[in-house]
Amino acid sequence: MSDIQTTNQSILVVGGGMSGITAALEAAEAGYDVVLVEKNPYLGGRVAQLHQYFPKLCPPNCGLEINFKRMRINPKIRFFTMAEVEKISGEEGDYDVGIKISPRYVNEKCTCCGKCTEVCEVELGNPFNFGMDKIKAAYLPHEFAFPMRYVMDPSIAGTEEGKKCHDACEYGAIDLDMSETHFDLKVGAIVWAAGWEPYDASKVEYYGFGEYKNVITNVMLERLASFNGPTEGKILRPSDGKTVKTVAFIQCAGSRDENHLPYCSGICCLASMKQATYIREQYPDCDVSIFFIDIRALDRLEDFYTKVQEDEKITFIKSKIANITEDEETGALMLEGENTNTGEQIRMNFDLVVLATGMVPNKINTAPSPNVSCDEYGFLTYDPEKAGIYGAGCVRRPTDVASSVQDATAAALKAIQSIARR
Amino acid sequence: MDKNTAVYICTGCSIGDALDIEQLKENGTEDFTISYCKDHPFLCGSEGLDLLNKDIEAEGINTIIIAACSQRVNYDVFNFGPDKIVERVNLREQVAWSQPPKEEDTQMLAEDNLRMGCSKAKDTELPEPFQAEEAYSKDILVVGGGVAGMTAALDTAKAGYQAVIVEKEDRLGGFLAKMKKNVTLPYKELSDTGVEELINSVEEDSRIKVFTSSTVEKVSGAPGLFSVDITSNGDAANERVGAVIQATGWVPYDANKLEHLGYGQFKDVITNVEMEEMAAAGKIVRPSDGKEVKNALFIQCAGSRDSDHLPYCSSVCCLVSLKQATYLKEQNPEALSYVLYKDVRTVGQAEDFYRKAQEDGNVFIRGSVSAVGESGGMLYVEADDELLGEKVKIEELDLVVLAVGMVPRSRPEEVPRVKAPEDEKDADEDGMIEVEQDSGFFANSALNLEYRQGPELPTLQYGFPDSHYICFPYETRRTGIYAAGCVRKPMEIARAKDDATGAAMKAIQCTEATAIGMAVHPRAGDMSYPEFNMQRCTQCKRCTEECPFGAINEDEKANPLPNPTRCRRCSICMGSCPERIISFKNYSVSMIGNMLKAIHVPEEDEEKPRVIALVCENDAYPALDMAGIKRMTWSPYIRFIPVRCLGSINLIWVADALSRGIDGLLLMGCRHGDDYQCHFMKGSELANTRLDKVSETLDRLALESDRVQFVEIGITDYDKIPGIIGEFMEKIEEVGPNPYKGW
Amino acid sequence: MGSYDPSFAKEVFENVDFGDEIKMCMQCGVCAASCPLSLQMDHSPRQIFTLIRAGKREEVLGSQAIMLCTSCYTCEVRCPRKIPVIDVMHGLANYALKHDFVPRKDTANFGGKFWDQIYRIGRIDEKDLSRRYFFAEGIIEGIKGLLGFSDIGLRLFLHKRIKPLPERKIKGIISLRKMLDKAEKMRGRGGASV
Repeated sequence: MSDIQTTNQSILVVGGGMSGITAALEAAEAGYDVVLVEKNPYLGGRVAQLHQYFPKLCPPNCGLEINFKRMRINPKIRFFTMAEVEKISGEEGDYDVGIKISPRYVNEKCTCCGKCTEVCEVELGNPFNFGMDKIKAAYLPHEFAFPMRYVMDPSIAGTEEGKKCHDACEYGAIDLDMSETHFDLKVGAIVWAAGWEPYDASKVEYYGFGEYKNVITNVMLERLASFNGPTEGKILRPSDGKTVKTVAFIQCAGSRDENHLPYCSGICCLASMKQATYIREQYPDCDVSIFFIDIRALDRLEDFYTKVQEDEKITFIKSKIANITEDEETGALMLEGENTNTGEQIRMNFDLVVLATGMVPNKINTAPSPNVSCDEYGFLTYDPEKAGIYGAGCVRRPTDVASSVQDATAAALKAIQSIARR
Repeated sequence: MDKNTAVYICTGCSIGDALDIEQLKENGTEDFTISYCKDHPFLCGSEGLDLLNKDIEAEGINTIIIAACSQRVNYDVFNFGPDKIVERVNLREQVAWSQPPKEEDTQMLAEDNLRMGCSKAKDTELPEPFQAEEAYSKDILVVGGGVAGMTAALDTAKAGYQAVIVEKEDRLGGFLAKMKKNVTLPYKELSDTGVEELINSVEEDSRIKVFTSSTVEKVSGAPGLFSVDITSNGDAANERVGAVIQATGWVPYDANKLEHLGYGQFKDVITNVEMEEMAAAGKIVRPSDGKEVKNALFIQCAGSRDSDHLPYCSSVCCLVSLKQATYLKEQNPEALSYVLYKDVRTVGQAEDFYRKAQEDGNVFIRGSVSAVGESGGMLYVEADDELLGEKVKIEELDLVVLAVGMVPRSRPEEVPRVKAPEDEKDADEDGMIEVEQDSGFFANSALNLEYRQGPELPTLQYGFPDSHYICFPYETRRTGIYAAGCVRKPMEIARAKDDATGAAMKAIQCTEATAIGMAVHPRAGDMSYPEFNMQRCTQCKRCTEECPFGAINEDEKANPLPNPTRCRRCSICMGSCPERIISFKNYSVSMIGNMLKAIHVPEEDEEKPRVIALVCENDAYPALDMAGIKRMTWSPYIRFIPVRCLGSINLIWVADALSRGIDGLLLMGCRHGDDYQCHFMKGSELANTRLDKVSETLDRLALESDRVQFVEIGITDYDKIPGIIGEFMEKIEEVGPNPYKGW
Repeated sequence: MGSYDPSFAKEVFENVDFGDEIKMCMQCGVCAASCPLSLQMDHSPRQIFTLIRAGKREEVLGSQAIMLCTSCYTCEVRCPRKIPVIDVMHGLANYALKHDFVPRKDTANFGGKFWDQIYRIGRIDEKDLSRRYFFAEGIIEGIKGLLGFSDIGLRLFLHKRIKPLPERKIKGIISLRKMLDKAEKMRGRGGASV
């Protein structure tokens, strides 16, 4: 791996989510040499965890499949999973980048036969499903994982359990001696597309996330709605696995809030509307309430808002919910707020509450930091004086998938320009 | 090439446990010329690959059939270079993992799969990339010299390519040049528009050629080979370019249609565009008497988010009004602006500017306007104040600003009408009918493409020539032609710039791919292209009409004139052709036809029906793999054949299969309709319409129409696969065996 | 139909302590439902702010809500625009009193009893305070009043805001009294009750 050859005519893309994959492919399909690094054991990032996209309600895996196919046949792209950038030095047209690869404990011989999972008895919270279910410590991250290869959790690598998995593999694919490796790359430009983290909802204390089981976040609901999620796609209450009759969405759960994220996360209104359609599809009798400050559905996405409003069972209530209390016996949640259109006090009970949590950008975290500009919230800004490293997607602004892809396509050209200037 | 074919069967991953390999070797290859048929317990491992490479080297094997896992995995492992044909036969996900082991039916399935693979390999040739006789151009034409157009040209140039801008006005700048200030990242205060610097950089860049007071008269040719006729100040010019960016911008919504808001009635009711121009020109005053403006009211969504006017949100008007309220405040610190809004849409970091506007003391009223009037020379506005819960009147207003929205310049005032087909029900007295929005005849003139399917980019709802896709916003229906900026959706300046840079990337990429004969998205990397056997063409025009990308022109005798560099290789033309004259080196009507024939059809008394599923290789095929990975099971009587797109299905396959005694055909494709998922736009829809015509064929054969069915299946619908197949098999059982068995 | 009168908002921005902070309100309503006394208020803080914006001087300065704020800080810590809601409410209350808007009798009564108790023991004993407050109008009224508030009482108890034993005098009560005397002198008036 350390013998990977790159030059100052190569482009490094950091982050294998939708933005990173796009930036890498667009540059490579124009004939440029690209290296993509991703910290997860699979590519696809956050969109791989989504059930559907708004407004078309189509599955993200469809577009990912096309992109993975583009990668498979393109010799100009090399990619590394479980890889992180450790250091960046140099300047536009001449960067030295240090990459760290964490051990996967499964090598290229893996055929995905699943024998290791069969014998493994140690279970972990499934990171792909935000810990809502368990996964064996030797596992395939998810069915659509690309590259399709198993991974072993470090916690069992040096144990008897690890050895058991090793012995079960007929193909010699489990390598318990793998260790962290490091290598350096020389590149001419860098696209930073490391994506975002959901804002920690437990910080909005009065919503009881982490304390009340039936208060979940929007990203968790995506997993609940997905067939490859913890409930095989049935949206059920985490507390008791029961079906739901009333669901509330709380918008701006942390966003547009100077105590948390002062900016608007841009996508949560549409995400909640989309998720309301998931619920309505599964439960024809379920009442959905969306509590909001302003509904922000730009451009033709307004049509989706119009469509969702037509559903009589979906109610939009202008109110920032101020409090949630749980009925310990039933797990039901009582929401309190003020309907600001009527001035009436809201005290409503729900089976499930979904917090529309916002986006926190994944900043460049190498020390020392390279020469880039950020705004006060940590989003990368474009400064022509500091060319060479370009943000793409949600590291620049909280935004939806289509805009991230546009942005990543633009970042690919900026990176090419940095190379062309040499 | 002279084929030297070998078959390699992997027995790992439970394949060896599920099948009788020796029997498979014999029965699966019996009708084909095969040099070897070998098996190996771990073909993708180093020993297995050594075996393969040794045979390739020593025995000159150049056509390799790998009967193992799905083609979706180990693609890199089983890649033996561009001069080898590799055919993958799925024995794992779709056989060993989804069927009971050591059953006769499982064995027969594997044997059919292998025979189909051998047949396909026999008919596959290595693609030879298309090369035009003329030289390719990698220059980029940019239509429109506003912020998006200038950015696209500049970013093209910075990457080392040449650009040509055609701008209809006498100078560059577009709407940006009319603006006083901009509000953009970090959204703390107003900033300069930077238009002069932008214009200067464009004009000073030797790689950019600028035509002002110019229009595009005609674009003929195809990607890499476009010839552009330009009228410039009355003179004719011609440029050869490789790709095109349409950045023709927007026009404000016609405020004359907003009479209910007092426009045209009161002089001091103006639009946000008029406000901007007044601010840029100097002082903001009351148009009626030139006096100072102290109190102003902005009516948001004036025409936008309104089903009678523009149903969509124009995205920028909230920020624009906040910006203009800031102008007023800067002009007179005592000035007060009211903003009457539906929702304040300051998305992302722009929320900071909302805060700034609040700090400035502007008054935000959530509600809808009920009347605009005048009293004593001052305006007043009546509104339902939602948050106050009462009707209110805001008086003593010097100025009312209507935040009118953006209309793409592509959108025509009136929907153009064309001559309707003869039996069209909706035609008017003159036999005319409105053109569809997604036809190339809908949009206002900008590119004047010499395309059989119309002179402009097809548009989506409301006349935006946008992409239909979330994951591929630059997926265009005219290869090599990309829309950028506000013509494709309402967006603020920062976004329009990014969009333009992205479009420049796609345009450059298209010229690079075209030059080496490679397809662009979504079949990027495909080196094949359609070839037409013109001697047998009957001029039926189906291919020219059905190509979703307008790739095929027609001559006056209705002969198709293919433009291979416009082609996206979906093969819909191949499916449309009743004479079967269109084929690819590695995909053809006869190839799939022969695969169908390679399936053994048991006699009726064996009670083993045979059903063929033609599946979309992007969505349905991976879904089948997923179902296999999940160890779901389904009927062993069904055979899957992946196709490039369901639109490439030629009806002859249906007729051939049924006349050979196949009991049923299932077409598994993407969702169609408004939210279609087919990346070739109309593929699955076409397959569905063609199926309607199949009933004629079935009638002729005296067969039941239930035998052929189309199902929509998304890539993540794998949980539904056993059910879908089960239902269809039940139906086939009800209908009974195909009477043509054994013929 | 009410007319917008921007002069009142201007008056508040310029004259009321922290009054200009309300410009930042985006009318989310989190203050309203955070307030333990919201059910007692004729207008929630959010409504007060929107009334100021519309210029409803009488409604705002005559409102009981501005007199009722107990400084629990819940609204203030939750306000997404970090508006010091408590300071604004107190500022408005003071401003109203200065302009001779009279609080409701029970509010004045409560304020008096509150002040007295602080003066006496230097802290608030919720049990003692409510007893004194409710029985000011006689025994029957007192029982009625207490029953009417049993819900809130229980909630306060559950939130450990009411302790079962009587509160004791604070240390340094003498010094506190001196401070209170001084404060009263400086303002020219006492608390809401005086």
